[in-house]
Amino acid sequence: MITVRNSGQRYAAKYLNALLKDPLLSIAIIVSVMFVLITIVLPLVAMVGESVSESGRPLFQQYLSSPVYQTIIANTLVLGVLVGMVGTVIGFLFAFVQVKLNVPFKRAIHIIALVPVISPPFAVATAAIVLFGRNGTITRGILGVRYDIYGLDGLVLVMTLSFFTIAYLNLRGMMEALDPALDEAATNLGANKWRIFRTVTLPMLLPGLASSFLLLFVEAIADLGNPLVMGGNYEVLAARIYVTIIGLYETTGAAVLSVILLVPSLTVFLIQRYWINRISVVSVTGKPSGTPQSIDHPLVKWTLYGAVLLICGLIVLIYGTIIHGAFVQVPGVRWDWTFANFDFVINGIGSQAMRDTTTLSALATPIAGLLGMIIAYLVVRKEFWGRNALDFGTMLGIAVPGTIIGIGYILVFNTPIGIGDLTLIPKLTGGQGIFGGALAIVLVFVIRSVPAALRTGSAALSQIDPSIEEASISLGADNARTFRRITLPLIRPAFLAGLIYAFARSMTTISAIVFLTTPQTKIMTAQILNEVENGRYGNAFAYCVILIAIVMAAIGVLYFVVGAQTGAERRLEGGR
Amino acid sequence: MIPVKKLLFGISISLLMLVAAPVFAQESTLTVLCTPQEDWCVAMTAAFEAETGIDTNYVRLSSGESLARLRAGRQNPEFSVWWGGPADAFIAAAEEGLIEQYESPNAAAIPEEYRDPDNYWAGVYVGALGFCSNVKVLEELGIEPPTSWDDLLAPELKGFVAMAHPATSGTAFTAFWTIVTLRADALEAEAAGTGYDEQGFPTPAAIDAAFEYYAQLNNNILQYTRSGSAPGSLAGQGEIAVAIIFSHDCTKLQQEGFEGILTTTFPEEGTGYEIGGMAIVANGPEPEAARMWFDWALTAAAQEIGPTVNSLQLPTNPDAAVSELSVNLTEINLVDYNFVAAGLNRVAIAERFDAEIAAAPTS
Repeated sequence: MITVRNSGQRYAAKYLNALLKDPLLSIAIIVSVMFVLITIVLPLVAMVGESVSESGRPLFQQYLSSPVYQTIIANTLVLGVLVGMVGTVIGFLFAFVQVKLNVPFKRAIHIIALVPVISPPFAVATAAIVLFGRNGTITRGILGVRYDIYGLDGLVLVMTLSFFTIAYLNLRGMMEALDPALDEAATNLGANKWRIFRTVTLPMLLPGLASSFLLLFVEAIADLGNPLVMGGNYEVLAARIYVTIIGLYETTGAAVLSVILLVPSLTVFLIQRYWINRISVVSVTGKPSGTPQSIDHPLVKWTLYGAVLLICGLIVLIYGTIIHGAFVQVPGVRWDWTFANFDFVINGIGSQAMRDTTTLSALATPIAGLLGMIIAYLVVRKEFWGRNALDFGTMLGIAVPGTIIGIGYILVFNTPIGIGDLTLIPKLTGGQGIFGGALAIVLVFVIRSVPAALRTGSAALSQIDPSIEEASISLGADNARTFRRITLPLIRPAFLAGLIYAFARSMTTISAIVFLTTPQTKIMTAQILNEVENGRYGNAFAYCVILIAIVMAAIGVLYFVVGAQTGAERRLEGGR
Repeated sequence: MIPVKKLLFGISISLLMLVAAPVFAQESTLTVLCTPQEDWCVAMTAAFEAETGIDTNYVRLSSGESLARLRAGRQNPEFSVWWGGPADAFIAAAEEGLIEQYESPNAAAIPEEYRDPDNYWAGVYVGALGFCSNVKVLEELGIEPPTSWDDLLAPELKGFVAMAHPATSGTAFTAFWTIVTLRADALEAEAAGTGYDEQGFPTPAAIDAAFEYYAQLNNNILQYTRSGSAPGSLAGQGEIAVAIIFSHDCTKLQQEGFEGILTTTFPEEGTGYEIGGMAIVANGPEPEAARMWFDWALTAAAQEIGPTVNSLQLPTNPDAAVSELSVNLTEINLVDYNFVAAGLNRVAIAERFDAEIAAAPTS
């Protein structure tokens, strides 16, 4: 990537000139900026505004000085730290086994580690209750103990299993990029494997470990589904916000709590963005030379492998329970074989939700994928004022907890926005909103997925020499044509990954959507929550199985449509 | 008897058709705010749709949520009719102007004690609160099924009781107000005028006493669920021992796989009951269709739909057939539940409960 620092005047002139010469480029910039401003920044600003309003300010003091809320805030942070640590360790373990150990079934382990990404919320928590609850099939049935899974320990277990994939993919990519030449050099200098690990590998991976920890921390404190299902009396902020808005419809109170939750989320996001990237010592320029050395010490090797197999076993057990549970009368109590759950879901309450959710996700997917690639292209390749702000604003879509996005949408889009009689943005949320509130849901799907597409897109772009695009422009193609014909095909694997992520994320998201479903637009995850809350686990599992099947089918379709070139396949399955 | 019923049914249907005929052109959709269990909502809307041809949608929300949602959407209501959930929520809604009066031609069939004298709401079912216990878990804990509210405070039950959150759930609010009533009776017995004020409403002292009870009970509560009936399934799964829910929700669970696992008991000193209400949403988008629903839901035929999906609340229409599985209200001790006082206090109690009890850590 070429960055030329211009003096202000020359820059402005060049900038204006470039924009005039290429109107399509300016349109792309303006559209992207407007999109981020309206769909991400505006709701956030409105929410912060509501929290510091006349009625909001006293609530800050009330909440922050109340011992009850202090406990809730402490609970939230403790949960985030624990999930961050345990998840990073497990992610590291999986990455280490994949990259450094020469053991069988590595591909199977990789696939098992990816399963949680496409799994709906509540699935893991519900299965964990059936298996390890107070009347759990394993805890009570086999071990004979009445284990109380509700609360911190249960939450750490299910959240770690749900989110560790993020750490795994992150660390694995990093470990593969480590240059084995460094290991060799250290070996030649007489260091043993342990010393190399301690003094070479670990320091190089430190930024990766830190950023995994931070990503998991943010996921954990933002998570709503799991605390609702198995929080017990371990209260966390996200669930409190939910009760405040759903039970009491106290938008101001919810906004105040949201801002309190936003502080740690954004702090961590900023640390991750500006500090971790600076201390990063792994260079991604060029391919690593040679293949990584594997660890042969049998004790180390088999201990680590055993630990990973154990966790894989747990994941298989949990997803096995989900699938099995979908076909029995009352999972955990009556294991009689039945199709009643599927009948209830498919012919009863679920058919509309399935149709709506799939349609809206399918609408959001290409928008998110393309927008992600366009913003990545603009941010990586083009020089314009506000470039960093555009990148930052887009990333906010995922850095901000979903509950907060949902409340922001209710605050901003519940009434039409306009100047005088002119309506600029019609009412988006609620049953009377445009398309029965469906547009708001699609927008939320998009802004929650664009960040991932942007990251994969810009990572892919920065690996590609800009001279290829320059050649295209020299030959007379404009920016749009170059993007379409040269850039997009080159970053197709990233595009495909972005699309898959967008679809899976849209189908499985709950925290932002739960505030936006309407009579006309039913969303599967919200219905699953209903079934789980009412204890109809069989129905919930049937729903989960259908949802997973839809996501898998969509991935297949995307591979087929976008075209899985060899590169794409390798990259995706390599998890990068 | 039967021919009369059939005749009445026929007449009401033809009346409906008469009323409905000119409407079809204008309103072809109806959005129902539905508070009972989801499968009953499905069955009701499907039956109404089949009968009238009106495309009927619903959203299922617990009664506190419904109230909050109606309040939030006051300027631009998204629902036209609200069906089900304890009447106190409807009284609170009428007080805030969220629902409007409607004198249904079919209301005369409903006994007076089951409908609002001012016609803001009418009752569509009745049910009593009970304790839904898991027999096996109780046996392991070494205690008998609870037969009084104080039994729930037993130290053996720490973490083994569940109820819903009164802010979201009408069931839980009914449980709360039941204790208020019992405490008011006790205070009144000690000294006249301390339990009830001159209007006959429980005094603030009675409400404070109920909060004391729930602060104690909080130590035994595993989780406050969002939906009123959810604790019953927790009991069925064996995650808890006792759920405070409506007895018909416990019967429903027994019918759906928990036979022999769950048992229903009632507190001897008295239990609360609900009248499931129904009302037209003020300024709703489909007023004509909403009235059609209102009239229809009061008919015996509509009230016989519940048992087909194991919703065993008692019908308010005396002509509707009663399932033999439904509880007989004359056999249990009901408190003198003041729905008006409950409705007027509902919002304040929900918020206080949320702040003082639900969010508090247990000791």
